[in-house]
Amino acid sequence: MIEIKNLHAAVNGKEILKGINLKVNAGEVHAIMGPNGSGKSTLAQVLAGHPAYEVTEGTVTFEGKDLLDMEPEKRAQAGVFLAFQYPVEIAGVSNSYFLKAGLNEIRKSRGEEELDSMQFLKLLKEKMKIVEMDSSFINRPVNEGFSGGEKKRNEILQMAVLEPKLAILDETDSGLDIDALKTVSAGVNKLKSPANATIVVTHYQRLLNYIVPDFVHVLVDGRIVKSGRKELALELEANGYEIIKDEINALQTA
Amino acid sequence: MERTKKMSDINHYVKEFQVFEQNGASKTPAWVHDVRKNAFTVFTEHGFPTTKEEDWRFTNITPISKTQFKYASDKLRSNVSVEMFKSFLIDGVQQHVVAVVDGHFSKELTSLLPLPNGVVISSLAEAMVNHAELVKEHLAQYVKMNHNAFTALNSAFIKDGVFVYIPKGAEVTEPIHLLFVSTSAGADQYIANIRNLIIADEGARANFLSSFRSANENKNLTNAVTEIVAKKESSIVFVKVQKESDTTYHYENLHAHQYEQSNVELFSLALGSSIARNDIGIIIDGEAAECNLNGLYIPTGKQLIDHHTLMHHIHPNCPSHELFKGILSDNSHAVFNGKVYVEPEAQKTDSKQTNRNLLLSETATINTKPELEIFADDVKCTHGAAVGGMNQQSVFYLKSRGVSDETSRGILIVGFAAEVTEKISHPAIRHHIDLLVVDHLQTKLGHTNLPEIVHAH
Repeated sequence: MIEIKNLHAAVNGKEILKGINLKVNAGEVHAIMGPNGSGKSTLAQVLAGHPAYEVTEGTVTFEGKDLLDMEPEKRAQAGVFLAFQYPVEIAGVSNSYFLKAGLNEIRKSRGEEELDSMQFLKLLKEKMKIVEMDSSFINRPVNEGFSGGEKKRNEILQMAVLEPKLAILDETDSGLDIDALKTVSAGVNKLKSPANATIVVTHYQRLLNYIVPDFVHVLVDGRIVKSGRKELALELEANGYEIIKDEINALQTA
Repeated sequence: MERTKKMSDINHYVKEFQVFEQNGASKTPAWVHDVRKNAFTVFTEHGFPTTKEEDWRFTNITPISKTQFKYASDKLRSNVSVEMFKSFLIDGVQQHVVAVVDGHFSKELTSLLPLPNGVVISSLAEAMVNHAELVKEHLAQYVKMNHNAFTALNSAFIKDGVFVYIPKGAEVTEPIHLLFVSTSAGADQYIANIRNLIIADEGARANFLSSFRSANENKNLTNAVTEIVAKKESSIVFVKVQKESDTTYHYENLHAHQYEQSNVELFSLALGSSIARNDIGIIIDGEAAECNLNGLYIPTGKQLIDHHTLMHHIHPNCPSHELFKGILSDNSHAVFNGKVYVEPEAQKTDSKQTNRNLLLSETATINTKPELEIFADDVKCTHGAAVGGMNQQSVFYLKSRGVSDETSRGILIVGFAAEVTEKISHPAIRHHIDLLVVDHLQTKLGHTNLPEIVHAH
């Protein structure tokens, strides 16, 4: 589905990603772990097309197309979704207007008919059940005054409505208590299918108890230094990033 | 040289004033004549301001001072169609409508709902006779005329406008809609000197919408002065909409004088006129009184919209909050000057002032200046001014959901505006303002299919 080759990216002239290689197939869940500042979130933002990051080298192919050549909205229309670590608050504009605008653009790009307000509302209410969100959120301004947990639920609701092929979850567990974590994870799991893929970016193993990855990659200083199956996440949890000390040392002396 | 130029600007008004005083002499109480004469002397001594004066540095009013605006007598006014008049009202809400056309109170267009005992809503001209003592006690007692040509000129031509008195403990539940319509069009340009006096007695409560609208494209000057007196424990919401045609000129001196434990909420939505200047002054003259002053200006084309505000703290323990936002496009120009004055006795003052501007074009200009003069030592006073473009993180968030670039920008402009309209506490008036804002953004900024504004509270 997505193939990242030798990806380098910089922000304000400072190189953060230093040659990422990653291939994700449909039906797979990949976890990207790593210490703070390793470039996990940068990778997520670069894939979604954040304008602050400059790709200096490498390629990203999404379903055969050059992802890096596309504007953020075109990437969304192609089926890429980023669940933000810090969702943006937008006063005055209702959740439903915002989501309808996005969904209809995506439908248009696929040659599908746009949904009218009634059709959209019906769909939205169905999707809200997945993340156990109260219907009062339909007409509330986007994320304004939402608690941390409500914002993250709202991200997964957006994912449920937009039905992406590739979902990238950026630190979706941060700021969540255990109940909210369970609800959000259950939502993500319900949306999983053999046709779509998920990249979970997280600092802690905790989330991976609920969203079980097929593959785990450890990112250090802008490079993937170790990859493995889900057991790798448990090892990291038990022993910390100590177990990849050799790989880190190798990077630093290189 | 300067003086001679100014004299030629005011000579026209000398003649206008003589005719005005002769025509209305018999109907007006003697003390009003004194106010007029005194005011006219002040006007002739100073003349119209130029950009050499600090308060007018960025606001060049030469097009106003060079024009010989005629006094719009009530016989001159053209008819406002009923449909048009209705379109100015708060849709679907019971309201008291007080109509002033070209500066003259209109009995035909005014319609009041049943009022609590003792509440007076009438023309100022009528109140000068029927409530002489009350009017004399308060009229022209609060606004300053010195160094303010517009207010002096208005006071020289004091005759009509709206008078509202809400007695002790009374509450007017429906909004009181003051509607000022400018109608005279043609070769001549007219001045409407509108004078309003609003008195809320102890514990009184009322909500006002003050709308300035045009019936047509005209080049008239609205020169208004509104004095609000909020006595002990009274509570006033006063929302102003300035949506006169883009060819007009507008000045208002909106002044509130607050006593202890009173609560005044003011809002200024500025959309219209070629040059619009709003002087908004609040004197907090009592302990534990609260003032919330907010506003939104959206100049387009070559419009110039200026807000000069003054928050004057005299007594201790008073909070005041001020947020003004601006959305500027094309070659428009906005000025915001926010003065906060805290006297030595006003300890524990909690004052916050913020001005945020969204610049949508490289050729738009904003001059923003906070002016803090604090003479008490135990106070919390903050201020901040920001000028910038669209928040890139927010644009990215919307686009990452598939929303097009143009729709994303539309959504964020609406969101920017909604952050200040949400400060209006009266739901029906707030909704009316929200509709006007979205309509303005669609018609003037060319955004299509903008969302209706919703609020969290």
